[in-house]
Parts: sequence; C-alpha cells; structure tokens
Amino acid sequence: MAPHPGADSFIASVSKAASARVLLALAAALLLLGLAGCGGGGSDATTASTSSDGTSASAPSQSTEKAHPSAPQGKEGAPSQDSTKQGDPQAKPAGSGEGKQGPRVSLPKGSPEPEPTPQQRAESTLASISLSSPALTPGPESISTLPATYTCDGKDTWPPLKWSGVPAGTAELALFALNLEPVDEALFFDWALAGIDPSSEGTESGQLPKGAVVGRNSFGKNGYSICPAGDRETVIFALYALPQDLGARTGFDPATLRKQILASSGNSGLLAVSYGRE
Amino acid sequence: MNQKFTSMLFRSILAALMLSAVFAASSSAAPAWKFEGKALEGKETIVGAAFESSLTIPGLTTKCENFLYKLTIENVSGTGKGSVTELPLYNCTTNSKWCTVEAIAAEKLPWAAQAKLVSTTNYIVIEGIRVSILYAGELCALGETTAIVTGSAGGRIDNTAETATFDKASFTATGTTLKALGSAIEWNGVFPTEAFEWHRTQALTVS
Repeated sequence: MAPHPGADSFIASVSKAASARVLLALAAALLLLGLAGCGGGGSDATTASTSSDGTSASAPSQSTEKAHPSAPQGKEGAPSQDSTKQGDPQAKPAGSGEGKQGPRVSLPKGSPEPEPTPQQRAESTLASISLSSPALTPGPESISTLPATYTCDGKDTWPPLKWSGVPAGTAELALFALNLEPVDEALFFDWALAGIDPSSEGTESGQLPKGAVVGRNSFGKNGYSICPAGDRETVIFALYALPQDLGARTGFDPATLRKQILASSGNSGLLAVSYGRE
Repeated sequence: MNQKFTSMLFRSILAALMLSAVFAASSSAAPAWKFEGKALEGKETIVGAAFESSLTIPGLTTKCENFLYKLTIENVSGTGKGSVTELPLYNCTTNSKWCTVEAIAAEKLPWAAQAKLVSTTNYIVIEGIRVSILYAGELCALGETTAIVTGSAGGRIDNTAETATFDKASFTATGTTLKALGSAIEWNGVFPTEAFEWHRTQALTVS
C-alpha cells in the first residue's frame, strides 16, 4: 500500500519539530550545565561552599611557623601565580594566610621509629609468603576466627591451609601453630611440622602435607591440638621456608627447631587467628 | 518516510546519548586539588601529621601513636593525583608484654595517591602501601620476624577543617583494605593537611 501523501509531510514536520526540540533541549541543558559548572572538576556546589568557608573573613589568621625538617626555607609567602590572576573573585594573594582555616600540622613528639637495618633485615625472617585458610571467618576487630571444630571443643584437627609465594631454592617448609601468649615463661606450641615438600601449596584438614614430619607439641603429643585454658586464645600459624634441610625427625622439639629456623633467616607466612568460647 | 523517520530517531538517540554522557561526566568527574578555591597548577608538597592515629593489627595488636606523611600533589587532566614520599611512624608498641617493635618502615615509596569522589564525599586513596614491622622478644611468637602490612587506604577529606580522616567508614567507602597476618587491619587517624611549598598558607580543598 502506498503511503498517504500527507503522512510524510506530517512526520517530516514532526521530525523537524522534534529534532529542533531535542537540539534546543540539548543546547539548554549544556548552557545550564555550563553555568552550573558541572563540566569538570566535580561538584562545584561543594567547591563554592567550601571556598566561602575556607576564605571566610572571620577565619582566624594563624601562625605560619613550621618545624618539619624538610620544610623548604625562604618560601613563606611566596607568590602563587594561581591565586593572583585577575578577575577571580576568590583569588587572594598567596601567603596572606586569610584563607587558612583548618588546624595547623603539629609534629609528633620524639623521633620516628627506626627502620630495620640491613643486618636486621638479613637476620630476621620476612613474612613474604601468603598464608590463608578458607575455613576461617572474619571476626570481631577484623581478626579471623577459628571455628570450634578445629579445636578441642570440636574435632581438634587442623584447618585447611593454603600458601603461595614460597621462594625458589627452598629446601623444605616448616609449619607451626603457637599461642601468642607464652605459658609458664615458654612459647606454647599447638602444632609443629617440618620437612614439608617446598612444592606443596597447602594442606587439607586432617591430612598432613607431603613429606611432613610431626613434632611434639606443648601438650606432650606428636600432633595438633588447640585447647585454650581460658575463654579466648590467639594462635599464630607460621610457615617457614628454609634454605637448607634441617633434618628434623618425628617428635622433634619445636622450640629448638624454631630457633634454628630463625637463625637461618628465611621467609615466612603468618596468619593470626582467634578462638573464643562464648 | 522510513529514511526520514530513521534519521529523526537516530538524531533523537544521539541527542539523548549526548545528554546522558554530559550528565554522566558531571556526576563522576574526579575531584581536583585546589588552593583558595583555585585548581592547583604545577606541583605542590603537602604534609599531614595525625592528631591521634593508630594502626591496629589484630592478633598482635600493634599501634603507632603518630604518623606523618609527605605527599606531592598535582592535577593531571583535572584529577587530583599525588604520591606519598615519606611516612615516618612514631611511638609504635604492641599489646603484648612479650613483643616489642624493634623497627618499622614504610617501604616501596612513593605510593600513588588520588583524590576520589564517592557519592558526594571526597576521599584521598593511597595505593601500593607496604609497611614492614620487625618484632622482637625471646618469648614473642613473632620475634625476629618481619611482618608486612600491604594494601590501600582511603581517607575522607573535610575541606572546611582541612583534614583527611582514615577510619573503618572511609576504608569501606573507598573499597580499600590494609592487611597483615592474614587479616584486615585498622588505621584510624585524623590528618590535618597543609601545603609545604608555594601555597603553604593557603586553604587546601579538594573538589
């Protein structure tokens, strides 16, 4: 069917009118946006209010003394090219201090903490290995919580652990679970493994990793147990990558082995977990 | 008819797209560094020192009472960027009587920073953070071990007070996290900021 001759012209006129309206709307919107200054630099409503706050005449002019050792000298009140341009109602001479409303930086007392010396770096173990457990749940104050099943209140088997980032050339891995707080003036070991194949990437719950030799824990058994004496306990799982084989045998003393490990200054992975009886 | 109608439709769609693009650009425009309300040109160094600040590592709670930071800032294509060049830490301790902080250092500086608008609030987001902490103590479970804090941190900017506040809410808003010992750690602090060079007495804002 042929189109109605009047239809084209109607649509054309509507089309023209619509195009014109759209273009007009676009132009108006752009004009409004341009006036509002939305085209760049974020919310200028914020800027305007902030600027007026920041440059309030009632803002107290404060001392410009600073004591930071790296403060450049002789630049106080140096003119700013930005703020002395003509035609800007907000521009103030740099260094006037009139716009400075916020508090001044005050330096902490004392000296900064020392950085690790090259010798300290060489002698300490660096926690560069990623150690995690899919069984843990985020707990209060961000620390991961160990579910009861991995303690003497449950099955008392170790949680699944995963690690990555073991350095090349590692001879073996050792894995400890030890209480953050010592007991009877001694480190308390819940679990100690040595001789772990360095190519391993983790362990399943209740399943020893390849090559593992089990040490005697602080409960006096060759195995794992997390059993807090009190209501809450923080345990650190520490995986150590050893540059040489330490030749540990079943029932080894974890405290002695740990000293050897720390003396060999390898890399480690650390995981802090918390268990509480609520 | 079809050609004209199609042409009209395309023009309408194009106009609508342009409008939405303009609105999208305005709503997501990145904030810039400003002194006395004017966008910073060139570079400036700002310094921040916390009124009171703490870095809390769960497990072995480690706190540093004070921080300083030195940040070089500039606007790149209208966006406030920067890099943290120094971060000395003061008075760091642990909550364990068995463990002390032997040494602590901000590493792999400079760390990239960027001003970021989230909803209607401006933040500074610092990325690539790495702080190493060497613990000591014969009966410290982490003795002779260097723990590493890594991740990113977002601080809420208050233009009126000229401060950057780092807390749980600012980390959540900016989607940033710091981690150590396998857990997220908390960094709380209010940092007044001020320019250190050419704009040292001028009000610093981000918008």
